[in-house]
Amino acid sequence: MRFQSQKVAYWFFATCMLLLSLQIVYGFIMGFARIGFDGLHDYIPFNTARATHTNLLVVWLLTGFMGAAYYIIPEESDRDLYSVKLAYIQLISWVVVGVVAIIGFHFNWWEGRKFLEIPRPLDYLVVVNVLTFLFNIAMTIWEAKKRSTTQLVLFFGLLCAALLYLPGMLYFDNQTLDSYFRWWVVHLWVEGVWELIMGGILAFLLIKLTGVDREVIEKWLYVVVGLTFLSGILGTGHHYYWIGTPKYWLMVGGIFSALEPLAFLGMAIWALNMYRKKGKDHPNKIALYWTLGSAMMSFIGAGFLGFAHTWPSVNQWTHGTLITAMHGHLAFWGAYAMLVLAVISYAMPNMTGRKLFTGMSGYLAFWASNIGMLGMTGALAVAGITQVYLERKLGMDFLVVQKEIVFHFIGMLLAATLFTVGITYFIVDFIRHGLPSNEALGKNVGDLD
Amino acid sequence: MLSKSQARAFFLGGTFLFSAIFVFLTIDTLRQNDTRTDAQNLTEDVLKGKEIWEKNNCMGCHTLLGEGAYYAPDLTKVVERRGVSWIEVFLDDPQAMFPGERKMVKYNFTKEEKGQVIAFLDWVGKIDANGWPPKPNIPVDSIVTAVPPQTTTNIVKVAQPEKFSQLCVACHAVGGKGGNVGPALDHVGSKFDADYLNRWLIDPQVIKPGTNMPKLPLSDTERKDIVSYLSALK
Repeated sequence: MRFQSQKVAYWFFATCMLLLSLQIVYGFIMGFARIGFDGLHDYIPFNTARATHTNLLVVWLLTGFMGAAYYIIPEESDRDLYSVKLAYIQLISWVVVGVVAIIGFHFNWWEGRKFLEIPRPLDYLVVVNVLTFLFNIAMTIWEAKKRSTTQLVLFFGLLCAALLYLPGMLYFDNQTLDSYFRWWVVHLWVEGVWELIMGGILAFLLIKLTGVDREVIEKWLYVVVGLTFLSGILGTGHHYYWIGTPKYWLMVGGIFSALEPLAFLGMAIWALNMYRKKGKDHPNKIALYWTLGSAMMSFIGAGFLGFAHTWPSVNQWTHGTLITAMHGHLAFWGAYAMLVLAVISYAMPNMTGRKLFTGMSGYLAFWASNIGMLGMTGALAVAGITQVYLERKLGMDFLVVQKEIVFHFIGMLLAATLFTVGITYFIVDFIRHGLPSNEALGKNVGDLD
Repeated sequence: MLSKSQARAFFLGGTFLFSAIFVFLTIDTLRQNDTRTDAQNLTEDVLKGKEIWEKNNCMGCHTLLGEGAYYAPDLTKVVERRGVSWIEVFLDDPQAMFPGERKMVKYNFTKEEKGQVIAFLDWVGKIDANGWPPKPNIPVDSIVTAVPPQTTTNIVKVAQPEKFSQLCVACHAVGGKGGNVGPALDHVGSKFDADYLNRWLIDPQVIKPGTNMPKLPLSDTERKDIVSYLSALK
């Protein structure tokens, strides 16, 4: 850790860990409901568990991005954060909004639009909060003497993510338009500007962990995010096949979705190549595992599995089935969850001065959670394909089909247990690191840049 | 080899170009929207129904136009598939209609609210969604004939009444089509006589206290039609 103000990132990361744990709890509630153990139905019906599960995901990832930005931007700008106090105020208000939203879901207070369930009054608070965050980051960059591509790409990504939250706040009488603009937020976030954020964070980690020349890494950063926007913007079309929008979206969405894996492939090749070119080894191998792992898993989960069901003639059967849940799990895990865990793994030893990456638990966390997540994805894939054939192709009744796939959800719960073991290791390590310490100021553990 | 400034130009140029195309296509989509979605049919009831749909986060379990969660059936064509009367009965007490099955919250909608939800779902079902959902394209009959033939031989003697296809098939199967919450009805006509079936449909609880079968709102004619249909299933 170079600057005192980077410490604030720790509290964002700690919040992440808490929200991730809660997300897993709600995942289990849904998993058990699916195999017939829905004893919580009267208190936490499935729609509550589901809204809580997905919103916690979004909130913890955004919290992670903010923490990452508070850690990375001072270092890239070579100066302290503009205002530490503002950062703390922003964190506290962010948590308050999140907690109120989650509690609200349990009392039937929500907007009822998938992924954007946060009630309208809280939306305004989110906007104020994110503007505060961006102001703090922007002022840090503005007053810095140093400009770097990584810094600017990360900022541009965060700014666009904030701007794209706004179309989600428009109200439409017409379900088709409602859905159309909801995807402006959801799709353009996860398959657009979040990838910009991902690219920025990846570039930072690669510079630190491989020691390859910044110019080289940043040049490829432009190429990768260029590919992302080239495919991802019109790739939004794959959500517009069957919701009442014109037929040309089938062609536009199909072609550009088919290109989307290229961006993720670019990301994976870029990360692996930079690793291959490294001058010497960084001691924090765990951070490197998560970084390269994220680049590769995002290609499998977001790129390849997305590719597997966005072609229109396939999607007409898989649309609205567990196939989507299958793709969603590995995509979010690979691209964003692993990346946030990578930043945390890299930043923690720097902030606390403790080199816990030498032990076994970091590897256990990595492998258990990854194998667990692959298992969950596999279980959902088999359940989803079965569902598509029985329900969609044969026309069997929904509930009949659901009974046929209960078994796969037992498999999913077992894999989820392994996943949870991995995450538990990660969180225990996080706690063992302790709080950021002033003794760790001024130096980073084994940096190669 | 690509220089950094060329890479940046690729990023900025690509982003600008594809954003512009996206905005252009959005404008055209908005232009066509009223026709494709029959916007003139967005009545007061439909809009109220949409509010109820959102207020209760129905998408947290169901999907609509394939969007939402995957815990409960897609409701895009539900009005066409189940009919208004079934949905009304179902909404009064979802768990009574599917006893011991996946649970739905009992929302205690008023008659008016039920009508609004149904109006909304009916409107959604008529959106031009480019042919989605597609009709099943692997014929079930080709698979069902593998079952011993006597299960299917007699099912066409009397045409299936409309009410039967709306209400009963949600739980019972005939000839391999329908739900499996209740028993299949392929031979029900040889097990019970018409009088018994008639009394059973009037109030299942009287005949067999504790049964999961709900008392269905059937008119006398509807009940008579169903009884003669069932009696023919031998």
